Amino acid sequence: MALIPPTPRRAFIESLSAGLGSIGLLSMLSQQTARANTVANVGGPAPSQFAPKAKHNIVLFMAGGPSQMDLFDPKPALQKYEGQRPVEADLRTERTTGGILPSPFAFKKHGQSGIEVSELLPNLAAIIDDICVVRSMHTFNPTHNPARGLFHSGNIGATRPSMGAWFDYGLGTENQNLPGFVVLGPGGGGGAGARSGFLPSKHQGIGFDCSQTEPEKMIRYLQNKQLAAPDQRRQLDLIQQLNREHESSFGQDEFLEGRIQAMETAYRMQFEATDAFDIRKEPEAVRQEYGSTSFANGCLLARRLVERGVRTVHVYYGPGQPWDDHNRINQGLRGRCPDMDQAAAALIRDLKRRGLLDETAVIWGGEFGRTPVSESKDGRDHNPFGFTMFMAGGGFKGGTCYGATDELGFRAVENRVSVHDLHATLLHVLGIDHEKLTYRYAGRDFRLTDVHGQVIHDLLT
Amino acid sequence: MAMKRILSVGILSLATWASALSAEEIVADARTATASKEDLEFFEKSIRPVLVDKCYSCHSAEAKKLKGELYLDSRAGVAAGGEGGAVVSGRDPNQSRLIQAIRWTDADLQMPPTEKLSAQQIAAFERWIERGASDPREATTSTTPGTAKKKIDLEEGRKWWAFQPVKSIDVPVLDDAGWAKKKIDHFVVGQLQEHQVVPSPAADRATLIRRVYLDLIGLRPTFEQVDAFVHDDSTDAYERVVEQLLSSMHYGERWGRYWLDVVHYGEDNYTGEATTPPYPFAWRYRDWVIEAINKDVPYDRFVKLQLAADLMPGTSRQDLVALGFLGASPGYHKDGRLSKDVVETLYTDDWDERVDTITRGLLGLTVACARCHDHKFDPIPTADYYSLAGVFASTVQAPRPLAEIDPAAETRFMVDTQRIFYRSYVANLLRDDPGSKPDEARTKVKRYAAEMEQFKEENAGLRESHPRLYDHLSQLAKQPNPYPDEPKREPMQRGDRRRGTSTEPMFQAVYDAGFWIDGSDTDLTMLEIRPGEPRDLNVLQGGSVTKPGPVAPRGFLSVLANGDPKFHQGSGRSELADRIFSDAAGLSARVMVNRVWAWHFGKPLVSTPSDFGVQGEKPTHPQLLDDLSARFIENGYSLKWLHREIVLSATYCQSSRPREDAAHVDPSNRLLWRMNPRRLDIEAYRDCLLQASGSLDERFGGPSMDLDQPGSTRRTIYGRIGRERLSTMLQLYDFPSAAIHSPQRESTISPLQQLFVMNSTFLQDRAAALVGRVEQEPDNSAKIRTMHRRLFGREPSEHELQLAVRFLETSSLAQYAQALLATNEVIFWP
Repeated sequence: MALIPPTPRRAFIESLSAGLGSIGLLSMLSQQTARANTVANVGGPAPSQFAPKAKHNIVLFMAGGPSQMDLFDPKPALQKYEGQRPVEADLRTERTTGGILPSPFAFKKHGQSGIEVSELLPNLAAIIDDICVVRSMHTFNPTHNPARGLFHSGNIGATRPSMGAWFDYGLGTENQNLPGFVVLGPGGGGGAGARSGFLPSKHQGIGFDCSQTEPEKMIRYLQNKQLAAPDQRRQLDLIQQLNREHESSFGQDEFLEGRIQAMETAYRMQFEATDAFDIRKEPEAVRQEYGSTSFANGCLLARRLVERGVRTVHVYYGPGQPWDDHNRINQGLRGRCPDMDQAAAALIRDLKRRGLLDETAVIWGGEFGRTPVSESKDGRDHNPFGFTMFMAGGGFKGGTCYGATDELGFRAVENRVSVHDLHATLLHVLGIDHEKLTYRYAGRDFRLTDVHGQVIHDLLT
Repeated sequence: MAMKRILSVGILSLATWASALSAEEIVADARTATASKEDLEFFEKSIRPVLVDKCYSCHSAEAKKLKGELYLDSRAGVAAGGEGGAVVSGRDPNQSRLIQAIRWTDADLQMPPTEKLSAQQIAAFERWIERGASDPREATTSTTPGTAKKKIDLEEGRKWWAFQPVKSIDVPVLDDAGWAKKKIDHFVVGQLQEHQVVPSPAADRATLIRRVYLDLIGLRPTFEQVDAFVHDDSTDAYERVVEQLLSSMHYGERWGRYWLDVVHYGEDNYTGEATTPPYPFAWRYRDWVIEAINKDVPYDRFVKLQLAADLMPGTSRQDLVALGFLGASPGYHKDGRLSKDVVETLYTDDWDERVDTITRGLLGLTVACARCHDHKFDPIPTADYYSLAGVFASTVQAPRPLAEIDPAAETRFMVDTQRIFYRSYVANLLRDDPGSKPDEARTKVKRYAAEMEQFKEENAGLRESHPRLYDHLSQLAKQPNPYPDEPKREPMQRGDRRRGTSTEPMFQAVYDAGFWIDGSDTDLTMLEIRPGEPRDLNVLQGGSVTKPGPVAPRGFLSVLANGDPKFHQGSGRSELADRIFSDAAGLSARVMVNRVWAWHFGKPLVSTPSDFGVQGEKPTHPQLLDDLSARFIENGYSLKWLHREIVLSATYCQSSRPREDAAHVDPSNRLLWRMNPRRLDIEAYRDCLLQASGSLDERFGGPSMDLDQPGSTRRTIYGRIGRERLSTMLQLYDFPSAAIHSPQRESTISPLQQLFVMNSTFLQDRAAALVGRVEQEPDNSAKIRTMHRRLFGREPSEHELQLAVRFLETSSLAQYAQALLATNEVIFWP
């Protein structure tokens, strides 16, 4: 029997890291030579082998599956075949669909790059030279939850860790007083896309309700409603005196010491988080630039959080799955695009003005796209075979348009990018080799990209 | 870092080289070295450089990781093909997958994946194949095809330590100055002496009684109980306390909860969607577990009942409730409009969950690793995985009545529950969302609506004998909304289905029936249940339902089986349960003893409690584990016997204080030179806060309550456990996700926990209640004293009194009470 196991240093450091987030494995490994896989269940990634391009990432998630051919992927052929079903194309999806439904929205070339963007998105079009459009995304499950599971966790099941949890596990957070992974949505965020799965539960994304603007309504237990700060400090001083007394009678102990420190961090967090989460502290002009919807609040808050060192922020557009346009799609898009376009573009501009865009990767998209053929006359069905996402900043090459769908916009055919490829690429810009970020669970090492994924270098600067 | 990589092929076949190849077998056409000089020159000039440059990084012995089990760095490798079969077919480029891949014509088969070869290079490969694919490259040993795939050697596999039978062991009695009290102590002290470490002295009596109370019943002793014990000089004082705790009904509430972690008990599903509603009677299973633990039902019988109570002759109706383990197992939503393959894949995921929970939970084996390929480390062939999965493809969930019922009527009820439920689901789905074929949809709505009424009427006999069951069917048979041209209906009466919990006299259960997916209607996938007809599964290559291989008859893991592993009775659940405790008795006893050890000590002997395979850790005290496991079996699998062996030992009764001399040799206490000091788990923590403030509602059993609601004061085990959304309080304190089996709990310290302590209504309410409990006391110092007694079971020290008095000069008693509740001493478990 090996008597002295390598110190379970990770567990030890984590128990002391008095922050909400944790010290990431990578930084820890670079500080010390001890092996990281000594703690039960930790397979452990190797240190990063290349310099990260991005420190933070923001995912603007359009649940439901936005329509590519109405927003970013112009298909003139749809006019030609209006109402028909070209025999040579296999356009079958899960539900019964009808003939080709052309997009009524005009596309125009924008910026120096000349990328065509729909008239529904004038603000994003204006900054298209900062955006990297991928028109050849594909996924493989046509239903919302599994497809969303794949997007968030690399697996269609409901049990794997979300990408934000992986990043928190691999990189930790820069600000010990804030969570490393924040999920913003009206009504609370969180849920399946924030899951830590088999990773330690502290990597769980923490959900906040961005339809609220008062931090104490957004964060549970953040404020003490009974005590003013000096009174609370006095109470905490008493607690800590009692704790010190207790520890000196028991003896030096990691848990006792760790909890004393965590108490202090929590006390400071009350004020730091209150400040970070309060978008009302932004100048009026900035708030107007983003808009006033909950998605706008979420985007603005995302900027405030990455500015303070939060690693990953996910912002959900609306509750439920608003982009699931099975019918009346034109009307639906007209209603949703303006505030989405305004806030998403404002976020990218704002990050750029502050010099944060270079170190923040912004990803926009949904779990899949939609069909070129109609469903229920004026809607479009789910389409996992081809759809569009865009990225900005964080090492992604602006003014790029990558990949293509077929003539009808149904299937990605050129330079196809899978969801695993997206994850591999996102991990790459964050400085992690996607094949090396592993976690030992149930007898094997798991990865965000499972056994798949290629870094798409063409998207990167 | 010695990183062991184990990768499995994804569940759905993706666009990988290997999975896109067909499984066709070819006879390797030896591209012999008899080729002409020209051909070889051509190979050297036009083929080899491209292979080296573009293919070797994934398809050679030097590949960092070989992809698709395909070697392109030798003649033999090319001839053997990859995981999916041949890559060169005769002399026909158009039939050769290698060419198809490099042409990039098939969207799912594009090699090299990042950059297409030039037209010239592709033409060269076509020509090379047309000319017979001459290839002078010899395989090195490491690349010889066939050696890459390791065949599982069952005989060799059976030699693994954890698969050996357990035997009690004669342990030498060492001179330990009378320290040892129980047999386990001799093993412990033996290893300590080997490393020249002495054990710690016994914990002081106040610490000990608090330790064992929290351990066995999850509550604290009162001040009076501590005081009585501290002053009890009789030699059997401690034994009497232990006996009293083991016979308390709170014991089952504590130890039942540990078991619920193993089976990841939950009351709903990952996603609360239409086909996976919550389990309204799941709480009855939770109560069954508590009662069974209290009655000390032998562990083997305890497990057998949970797997197969319905198949065990002479089982009482009450014990059928044990089936809630499988009856409330999680499932994933299956949209009826998904294709047969997708729906079937989702069902294979559900079966996988059962296999995983049972094999890791009961046998400490990661059998689910063998779903897509043979287990890479343990002797578990893929066929064995499907032999076990078949048991669950032959087991269907259904509620059953608590009252006795005619078996034929019950089976009809169970089958029709599912049939009616699913028809009501699809009828409502198509009614509200007919898609693009509204007329067809309407026909189906009518048909399924009529069918569910018909199924319901076939159970009309229940109306008299079991009216509640008939009501249950009626409620499931929710008719779709009438079409605009149809008459309006009376809205249906809703039963007691509040928040997914019901007190109807039913329980979640399973029964034997084969389960098939019916894909005959391409627009709507239907389910087919055949009671009494078990289903053997095909081995699914790469885990994909589109690639069925040979049939794997239902049976036990071949490496563990004595003789024929096949199951013959019904689903095979009862044979599975039997084999776990006969053929695999040693392993299953070790796994459980190790878990029980971990729950007592905070750390297991085998630090990977759900993996006793090659990838798992070896025990720190192998002889102790084997001996205790053997005696656990000899003593009739009695958990209470096992508790006594452990909590009465000197090892357990040691002080947990740090000692520099020992920490220097063994910092993580693997040798057990002290008791492990711990943080309380959320159950004990919350219950103790309620208890100290006099608010604990000690009623036993019943429907679950919402832990996050203010005013919920029952013991934590009665809180609702959501798989979709877990209570905030549970999440905060490392309660494991109820969606998957969790080997053991984490114990973290986070600032969010401290925010909860400082600012939550729950803690503020406890502080107020604590103040209420001391109101009668005459003065502050009496109040302070009583608070200490209630919270810590001791008197305050002089210094603590001084601090309190000073604090109370400016702050309220409630603020003081909350400060006490927030201290480390409350949540620390030394």
